[in-house]
Amino acid sequence: MYLLRRGWAELKNEVFVLPSRTLVLAWVVALLALPAVYGDAYVLRILTMTCVFAIFAASWDLLAGYTGQVNFGHALFFGAGAYASALLSLRLGLSPWATIWAGAAVATLVGVFVGYLCLRLRGSYLSLATLAFPLIALGLLFAFPGFSGGELGISGLRRLALTPTANYYIAAVSMLAIVFALRKLADSRFGIVLHAIRDDEVAARASGINTPRYKLAVFAVSAAAAGFAGALLAHYIRIAGPSSLEVALSFQVVIWGIFGGGATIYGPVAAVFLLYPLTEWLGSFRAVGELRLLAFAVIVLLVLLFMPRGLAPWVRDRIETQCPRCKQRNGAWKRLCRLCGAPLQAEVARAQRLVGHQ
Amino acid sequence: MLQDILVTGLVNGGVYALLAIGFSLIFGVARIVNIAHTAFYMLAAYCFYALLVKANLGFVLSAVIAVGAVTLVSVVCYRLVIEPVREHEAAVLIATIALALIFQELMLLTFGGHYLGIPSTLEGMVRILGVSIPYQRLLILVVAAAALTLVWFVLYRTRLGLAIRATANDLEVANLMGMNVNRVAMATVAISVALAAVAGVVVAPVFVVDPFMWLAPLVTMLAIVVLGGLGSLKGSLIGALIIGYVEAITVFALPAGAYLKGAVALLIMVAVLLARPEGLFGVAFEEER
Amino acid sequence: MLRSIVVALAGTLLAAGAHAQTIKIAILGPMAFVQGENHWAGAEMARDQINKAGGIDVGGRKMMIELVRGDTNEMQSVSDATNTVERVVTRDKADFLIGGFRSEAVLAMQEVAMDYKKIFLGAGAAHSKLGINVEQNYDRYKYWFRVTPPKDVDLVRTTFAVLATVADQIRKQLGKPSPKVAILAEKAVWVEGIVAASQKNLPAMKMEVVGLWQPSAVATDVTAELAAIDRAGADIVFTLLSGPVGIVVGRQMGERNMKAIAFGINVEAQKDEFWQAAAGKANYVSTLDTYAEVQMTPKTLEFVRAFKERFGKAPTYNAGTHDAIQLLKTAIEQAGTTDADKLVPVLEKLSFVGAAGVIEFDKRHDPVWGLGKSTGIAVQWQDGKKVPFWPPQVPGMQSFKMPAR
Repeated sequence: MYLLRRGWAELKNEVFVLPSRTLVLAWVVALLALPAVYGDAYVLRILTMTCVFAIFAASWDLLAGYTGQVNFGHALFFGAGAYASALLSLRLGLSPWATIWAGAAVATLVGVFVGYLCLRLRGSYLSLATLAFPLIALGLLFAFPGFSGGELGISGLRRLALTPTANYYIAAVSMLAIVFALRKLADSRFGIVLHAIRDDEVAARASGINTPRYKLAVFAVSAAAAGFAGALLAHYIRIAGPSSLEVALSFQVVIWGIFGGGATIYGPVAAVFLLYPLTEWLGSFRAVGELRLLAFAVIVLLVLLFMPRGLAPWVRDRIETQCPRCKQRNGAWKRLCRLCGAPLQAEVARAQRLVGHQ
Repeated sequence: MLQDILVTGLVNGGVYALLAIGFSLIFGVARIVNIAHTAFYMLAAYCFYALLVKANLGFVLSAVIAVGAVTLVSVVCYRLVIEPVREHEAAVLIATIALALIFQELMLLTFGGHYLGIPSTLEGMVRILGVSIPYQRLLILVVAAAALTLVWFVLYRTRLGLAIRATANDLEVANLMGMNVNRVAMATVAISVALAAVAGVVVAPVFVVDPFMWLAPLVTMLAIVVLGGLGSLKGSLIGALIIGYVEAITVFALPAGAYLKGAVALLIMVAVLLARPEGLFGVAFEEER
Repeated sequence: MLRSIVVALAGTLLAAGAHAQTIKIAILGPMAFVQGENHWAGAEMARDQINKAGGIDVGGRKMMIELVRGDTNEMQSVSDATNTVERVVTRDKADFLIGGFRSEAVLAMQEVAMDYKKIFLGAGAAHSKLGINVEQNYDRYKYWFRVTPPKDVDLVRTTFAVLATVADQIRKQLGKPSPKVAILAEKAVWVEGIVAASQKNLPAMKMEVVGLWQPSAVATDVTAELAAIDRAGADIVFTLLSGPVGIVVGRQMGERNMKAIAFGINVEAQKDEFWQAAAGKANYVSTLDTYAEVQMTPKTLEFVRAFKERFGKAPTYNAGTHDAIQLLKTAIEQAGTTDADKLVPVLEKLSFVGAAGVIEFDKRHDPVWGLGKSTGIAVQWQDGKKVPFWPPQVPGMQSFKMPAR
């Protein structure tokens, strides 16, 4: 009973005061309640994949949005997780529940390796160098076809659960857990250091921050999440193939990340939830089906022209404003700041008009 | 075998140089990583195909119209799509990716997903140093050299070239000096894409044309530009030759490993970056505050 | 009141009946590409033929065929392909699935189809793993049957048979007792077995293997390989190519005026567009193929001619969807039901005369190989036309030409 009242108090004071947080809560509830309302296997499949790709996109945002390491080869971690989990599961006969974690661990190692190689690279050099890594990995995979299955990949993997609903919940719950964890990480002191590294690495180092260590750490965390997503997908479609390392996948996550809004974690997740089902839905029409990628690119381009910083920041700026005194966010329609009581921008503008200021 | 490597490396290097120098120009002046660069190369190849094979216009006319049309398209795209979001680097990046995807899909829808062949401009082969080289490849080399000389002339002997170099050096000061930075950027885009279009027209008869032909050269070109140093034209040229030779050596020395030539080129790029994080001749950019 | 109820009841019954009158067959393939186009074209021909003749007789009731178009986009995304399968089964309520092309994607698509216990007839992927799954886990994978092409191992047998014929011709024309063979195989898993088999068997067939070259399947330049092959003095270039490198090989061999003859598997050379793609230079390139205007079975000529007339170009092996649908019709009419579990044993015992060959299924639900069953044919490009030349005893075959020396 106490817990209920406490929970309600938390909700009222922390969540409902901000429209963005309310939206997120609504989304979480919708996600978890979906199978009860609409149990169509096809819809569940689309949403399962969306959740997996959302983890992937969120992990990219941590690396690129927060830390400024714009990674053009993020599919490497995805593929590493997928292949590692597939190999362990098939060759050693281990249960997928265990090998997924092993896949994430292998991806973490790969992430640290890539991070180490990229420590001295900046800006576009880093982006283009990271583009090379998945391609080199693909070359290696093709060079050892007995081990990796060559262009066919590794097939016949076991599913995590048997029913579509169970698989959906596994994907959705992992996605929620990972996304919230990443968000917490990004909001903490660790996240502040990441911001510093992105904005001015020289100043950060001058302040005494061991930036290489932080960069390696963020590569590791990001790669772990991406590898987890890769392993999840591999066990869902039951095959881990070279398509998990493609350049197209790396470009796709860059688009999701930037379209959704860098350095927000929720932005890329929202982008995936919007764009992936949309392109899938477009693909199901006979006439429009072949235009799906074209439509996707055009939509991205158009939205970019109106929201150059990304979707999430644009939406957030519409529904919330910042208090001029205490810098905390409030709902856009509020007149006084909820924390310090100062009049918000709209209120100030209204007062100025009344008084006759320019 | 040595002669094979020497000649093949030179020819391939020439082709890559055409693409890499254009890309480097845009980056140096406008700080744009133009992922759609090789997509314009693909557009030019398709244009050339349509004019030559479908409309039967003859080589020279088709080539000129193709290059002109693609340059025009690039300037229009720049005005409509890139310029509005110039300040947001990230947005520019995915704008170019989206453009490349749009071109790919348009070509896929118009011409279909199958492979097309463009007849060679020059038929026949010639023997140099005991190696049989088709005239078409020599043409590529000649055209590449001519195009690069032309670019050098424009950059170092004309006022526009001076403006371009100044803008590449320091955008703000060039603006303060009275140069119309936007117009300079547009001119650079035009020159750069014209180079890519020339590459498309000359090289397409040697390769197969399909809507996905922009991906492989993109990766190699990026490797070259990074290797040589972003923004450095000399670096791009030398990088192109290096990569051209590396690929030739891989294919001739390891016949059973020919499929690895892309991966080897990329490995070289990574190795160079580890030793010199700005590439061979790259300029470390002051962090613009 | 009563009358309106009766009318309403009759209406619903009619509607339900009308709905149940069609058998829904989903055609899965990359519709933006040649493979998907052929999938759909072959299926349309079969559908129109069958529906015009009254439909399929299911236990006394005639049902029409309705095709569902499933664009899998498998060339660009394996997960999209699985989504498409799920959609056609759950949303469009397809009863049968036919098609597929990219082996990695078909493996994933097979999983979804088996989950829903739908009969899936393959018309494009050659990899043996698809059949091995049937053997290793029969209860789950029994709904899969491969109609075309023959599995990769059997393709090898055809290739060797034709190679022997070609080598014989070289021996006669050039007086060389032991022709030199250069193996030019793209780097891919499917060639590994064939390459190993060639290196072992060709010497026994009195041919000398002078080297192995492996370009990438998407290589755009093979001058290095061809220069080396020239230097090795090869008479036959044994090609194992499925990607666009096949076009490049044809073109560059022609440009170099090479005296060696190219034969093997060259998937791009099976398409009508090949001649144009190789800029008219790929003379004498030969490859295995499936359809030509020859009398492989009594149905071949008629099918190929009708296809050419309707669609303006020759069918590729993906048009085997036509045979697949006809085969399905025979099985359904024999079993008297569309129930998948009852159809499986019927399909297993069926011997069906299709347009490509006689289709029978083995233990792995792969088409049985053998002269008189399914072997495929061999064709050679001569002056812009694809000329069939093997098996020589089939009426309509012409002769194999060699470049002048």
